[in-house]
Amino acid sequence: MKDVFILGIETSCDETAASIVKNGRQILSNVINSQVAIHQQFGGVVPEVASRKHIENIAVVVNTAFLEAGLSHEEIDAVAVTTMPGLVGALLVGLSFAKAFAYGLNRPLIAVNHLQGHIYANFLEHGNIEFPAVCLVVSGGHTSLLYMKGISDYELIGSTKDDAAGEAFDKVARFLGLGYPGGPAIQKAADQGQAGLYHLPRVFLDRNDFEFSFSGLKTAAMNLWRKMEKSGNNRVEDLAAEFQAALVEVLVEKTIRAANKYGVENILLAGGVAANRDLRTRLGESARQRQLNLYFPSLLLCTDNAAMIAGKAYHDYVNGHFAPLNTNAQPSLFSL
Amino acid sequence: MLILAIDSATPVAGIALLDEEKLIREEFINYKKTHSETLMPMVDQLLRDCERSLQDVTALAITIGPGSFTGLRIGLAAIKGLSLAAGIPVVGISTLDVLAHNIAFGDALVCPLLNARKQEVYTAFYDNYNYYPHRLSEEMACSPQEFTYIALEKAQELGKSRIILLGDGYYPYSELFADHLGDKMLVAPSHLMLTRASALGSLALERVIRRDFDEILTMRPRYIRLSEAENKLGRGEL
Ligand SMILES: [Zn+2]
Repeated sequence: MKDVFILGIETSCDETAASIVKNGRQILSNVINSQVAIHQQFGGVVPEVASRKHIENIAVVVNTAFLEAGLSHEEIDAVAVTTMPGLVGALLVGLSFAKAFAYGLNRPLIAVNHLQGHIYANFLEHGNIEFPAVCLVVSGGHTSLLYMKGISDYELIGSTKDDAAGEAFDKVARFLGLGYPGGPAIQKAADQGQAGLYHLPRVFLDRNDFEFSFSGLKTAAMNLWRKMEKSGNNRVEDLAAEFQAALVEVLVEKTIRAANKYGVENILLAGGVAANRDLRTRLGESARQRQLNLYFPSLLLCTDNAAMIAGKAYHDYVNGHFAPLNTNAQPSLFSL
Repeated sequence: MLILAIDSATPVAGIALLDEEKLIREEFINYKKTHSETLMPMVDQLLRDCERSLQDVTALAITIGPGSFTGLRIGLAAIKGLSLAAGIPVVGISTLDVLAHNIAFGDALVCPLLNARKQEVYTAFYDNYNYYPHRLSEEMACSPQEFTYIALEKAQELGKSRIILLGDGYYPYSELFADHLGDKMLVAPSHLMLTRASALGSLALERVIRRDFDEILTMRPRYIRLSEAENKLGRGEL
């Protein structure tokens, strides 16, 4: 079969990204314009500000993706774009651009679910992942466990009842004055602290299902900090370490239990929180003890990027799953 | 020489194809389907109906703002995509200029008004004595009351006895305008009330002839207003 080159575009949150991927595997370019520095001054992503940056940057980012790949516009076979979930105004910039660009080149448009993109990031880097597998998707908007029989063939076996893991990181980091984004901020503080000096709950660990809840943990961490401050203890690092440990322990345990229950040998980790070092290490250790294979993307492909979108789209391209010109963004379609 | 004009700055979605001064076809929808769904199918249908393809188009025109933030971005993102893919240059025109262009000739003060929500309108003041809208002020966002004060002042200053209002910013405050402007006020008839892609194309022509194009890579909407968050942060552009 002839080589397939797909342009991927991703603008679901605060990264304007474009990438060209060959045959769903080989990343020819992976351009990411991050707005983190801009949103830091607001203490979180401001949707209107994100949308304004996307429209300023989108054409430059796409142009750069072609330059870095050394390809002309005519050499791509399809245009893939994130259409769900995400911030609606942000999604619409990428989607509107992608539709027009595909139309202008007379190429098909492919609509990609952002979360399926995150999962697919594993397949960009690991050639030999076998199914069935269990996948833990952890990000600012999601905490879900999937039982996967194929790249597009999976069932949701559990998810968070309230806050997503990344959301809990963000909220606690903001409360503790550690900054934004919360994941890296907490990890950095935790590196200087010690878990176990205080105790925070491992929520739902006693339950025999694959549901998560992080809202209670978040509140407990905030209450503990108020108590610590009152007693003159401001070792925020120790609290950050305990918070991270409590959150990671639940993620690791439930993922391993899911692998056992479904009898799989392979575990995938995906989403922005998959960049957390403690999670990678602990899940790695637990998996090794039980002789399970753990796969996770490199740090660059854990965070939002368009290579994962272009990669996922390859399988839609091969199966002829194209999107019409009236495709709309589906911001709150959180299901996988 | 073909100009394809695309307007999604307000609840109106409009597309027009012009061959220099000659309008070939125009699509106008002022109905609650989102621009994101309608705009590209409209472009496709219009070109098909006229037996033209994007490759035949000489220049693209877009209403660059003010207007609905999301609407402006949907239009501009589409324009950037079309321009980059097909190598077609772009002209961005003020939404208020386009609206003012609905009124040609006459010696009244022309006042396009766009609904800016938050109890405000986007507006600017025009003199249309020779066909083309001649802007007399900055584009601004202000309360409808404030607008009437400035309009009366401008009319006085320029010796104009009539003030023409048009645009979707008229409807929510029609009573207030009537109270404040009295018998100086004229309201455009319904077919001239809203932005027309044909008017956009007509205004763009002059710039296309001069080859006065916008820089597509860095082009951005003219919002007039800061985002809420930037306002709260109490500073200028990021
Ligand atoms: Zn993401």
